[in-house]
Amino acid sequence: MTEAADGSGRGKIDHLPGLESRLFDIPEDKFIEVVRLLERVRDHPDVRQTFAAIRPRLVQVRPDRRPTMKRVLCMPFEDVLESLSGVDVPLGRIERRVIEPVWRLVTECGDTALIDQLDRQVQETAPGNLNALRNIGRRLWPMAAQAIRGAVEQDGSRQMVWRLLHGDEELRRQVLDVAAFLDIGLTVEALKDALAPKPLPALDDHHVEAIEQAAQAAARQSPTLVYYLLLVAASRMANPADLLAVLNDIDLGKARREQPVIFAQLSGLVVTNLEERSARLDGKRDGAGGAAVAIAPEEAIAIAERLVASVNTTSAVMDFLAEPVYRERLDAVKAAVRTMVTGSVLDTAPQGILTVVAAPAASGRPVAVDDDAQTAAEDHARALRRCEGLADALGLHQPLKDAMASMEKGLLERAQALLAQYPKAAGDPDDAETAEMNLFYALRLLEMVAGPAKADRLRTAIMAATGEFGEE
Amino acid sequence: MLKGAIEYAPSTFEERGAAVAFTTPLLSQTRVRRGERSKLEVLIPSLSQGMGIYVVAWKSVPDMVSMTMHDRYLHDLIVKEDACSPHEIRRATLKAARRGLAGPKAAQAARHALEEDEEQSTLTHYLLILAILKAVGLESPEMLKAGIDTDEGQRLTRQLMTRAAESLRMDATLLYSRLADVAAVAAPVGLARSPKPGRLVRGLMDLKGFRDSLTDWAREVPSEAAPVAAFCAEVAQHTIAIGDKVLGDFHRRIEAIGPLMRDWDVEIVRVRAQAARMAWLLDGWSHITGAWEVVQTEDHHQQAATVNDLFRILPLLPRKESSRDFVEDAKQVRQAQRRSVRMLEDWRTGQMDMDAIRRIEAVKARAP
Repeated sequence: MTEAADGSGRGKIDHLPGLESRLFDIPEDKFIEVVRLLERVRDHPDVRQTFAAIRPRLVQVRPDRRPTMKRVLCMPFEDVLESLSGVDVPLGRIERRVIEPVWRLVTECGDTALIDQLDRQVQETAPGNLNALRNIGRRLWPMAAQAIRGAVEQDGSRQMVWRLLHGDEELRRQVLDVAAFLDIGLTVEALKDALAPKPLPALDDHHVEAIEQAAQAAARQSPTLVYYLLLVAASRMANPADLLAVLNDIDLGKARREQPVIFAQLSGLVVTNLEERSARLDGKRDGAGGAAVAIAPEEAIAIAERLVASVNTTSAVMDFLAEPVYRERLDAVKAAVRTMVTGSVLDTAPQGILTVVAAPAASGRPVAVDDDAQTAAEDHARALRRCEGLADALGLHQPLKDAMASMEKGLLERAQALLAQYPKAAGDPDDAETAEMNLFYALRLLEMVAGPAKADRLRTAIMAATGEFGEE
Repeated sequence: MLKGAIEYAPSTFEERGAAVAFTTPLLSQTRVRRGERSKLEVLIPSLSQGMGIYVVAWKSVPDMVSMTMHDRYLHDLIVKEDACSPHEIRRATLKAARRGLAGPKAAQAARHALEEDEEQSTLTHYLLILAILKAVGLESPEMLKAGIDTDEGQRLTRQLMTRAAESLRMDATLLYSRLADVAAVAAPVGLARSPKPGRLVRGLMDLKGFRDSLTDWAREVPSEAAPVAAFCAEVAQHTIAIGDKVLGDFHRRIEAIGPLMRDWDVEIVRVRAQAARMAWLLDGWSHITGAWEVVQTEDHHQQAATVNDLFRILPLLPRKESSRDFVEDAKQVRQAQRRSVRMLEDWRTGQMDMDAIRRIEAVKARAP
């Protein structure tokens, strides 16, 4: 693959000029149509680069892609493949640059007759026919795993492996990981069905049961494979640390004796994963060219909620391990999240919420409301309220309280100023309506920030000024 | 004030009450009706997933439930206008949303809906004039060419309508006044030949789409909510069957505009009753079909949660409207779905559930 290591293939292609950016803008059905056409010539290097560039939209739209052998090969480890955007990182991820050398190892060292036979079957399979693809995988994956392991571990093929992997030890490790995922391909596929949709918001009893059964099946093949099975399970969850919380209650069957080791391995990985995710927060804030990329307040809160939930669960299960070093690392993750929330939600609140309530114009005529600005301010106010749920965990109690109080005060002052000006507009029906809209929009923001009880006093004052329900 | 949970098996639409598009999650789509001594009262279903319904004096609602600013405004407006029918409640709801208290998008949608009402009223009036002229053989290409909104068009129309009144042996003023009455009755429903379907005709079409979509969902999605979805689709189907019949008869009577004008006293009562019945039949459904549309982009779990939410506010047909006892059937479904209902957090904690409010406002922005 020729994709840049940072995954940002956009804007570097000469041969299909402008196509990638246009593919981000066209309607979904057209996008799917173009993807289908491009897939017919997908082996062309330019087209491959185009696919790399449009991957974010492919992830979003998820059209049923034309099946290929390479895609079937990747099925057992697709959940742990690195993601190119967002803050979430799959646990124990496999980098996308591994796919090409793995495919070369399989085609060069594997059973070519079987590959040709399966390739013909793949070409006859309709997109979206998962059962047919799994049936092909049933024969492809064990052969591929054996081929990879044979090539990497045998002296005879050392030269070829060195050439394909550019002597990269990390790549070699990941290639061997891929072989492990392929070994348990069918078990993984069955588990995916049980752990749907991805990301799974919470683990129910039947999910835990499915993980247990899958883990026992993997353990029957080899106890070392259980770890890989659990990585897939964790990667399908919204909060991978949830798996740690139930792991000690799961009977791993033939891998029962390895349970403490697996638990320690996974715990370490969860913490590393959290660190990587919090580091991506800095990446997001710094942006590609060093300029600050603001995270929208609601997005910031959603990210913070996921990370804090993971940190909390991990902390709870880590107490079992009594490892102080983990505690420090988790605290560092929380500090990063706190900085992000402070910067994206609290510090920006005056600009994001207060300024939308227009000050009365000198002319006395009310200023027309701006619906887009109001919508953004409401989103910000909601984010501020959602901070309440994180305040304890992030030690943000006082800063949040201060921000809320300051917003309440500011909104009330601005609303009172508008109210004082209202009689000037009341004579003209259009002006009166505009002035009332301004007041009601301010009231709504106050309601979101301070709650209905406090907002109701302003509502009563507005109704008294407008005289709308006067006879009451 | 609070009469305690009662069995809820209304006989008539009026007893069932009209749905109010509140944004407070606990009060969303609760029904208002005229109770003892003509006082307004509100019916709040299953506060704690129980089977009963609470009947609360309308004026006491703000003391019982922490309401959004939008709902306080709407509550006051309904008191002031003594609104109780679906039409009156809808006007009050649009007026409240237009103020911006359910968010900018809901305000835009409400303004749009009010404009559409105006347009539909003008269009219906115009089509009825054409129908009258056609009925008495006075179709005029000149008038159509001039257009009804030009001076020339209006002069021609007056001239022709005077002749139409003579042909119908009635006073022109009376003809105009009756046409205005018919237009007021028909505009919310929509005429059969209208180039733009009326609001209630559209509502019936949306309900058909909802029925089909939920039937497919119940069949294709493995979920505990599947039987609930199937039940919602059945209730929709029963409503559609009655709606199609009422609408067909309504359109036939309006089409026969000559007899309608001649047998005025009897006919106008009939068409008015049919239009009112259409409004009652579809009352509460626009929120439901809108909520289902909104959740189409989300995953099956969210859709299942929405199915359960919608079941709670499903407009079951009153006993006099259907031979099937939907209230009894709903009880069976409720027994099965009780485990998977989304809790109404605000009732238990006293805190406003911002996400739930936002979901309701999103529906309001789509189906005001």
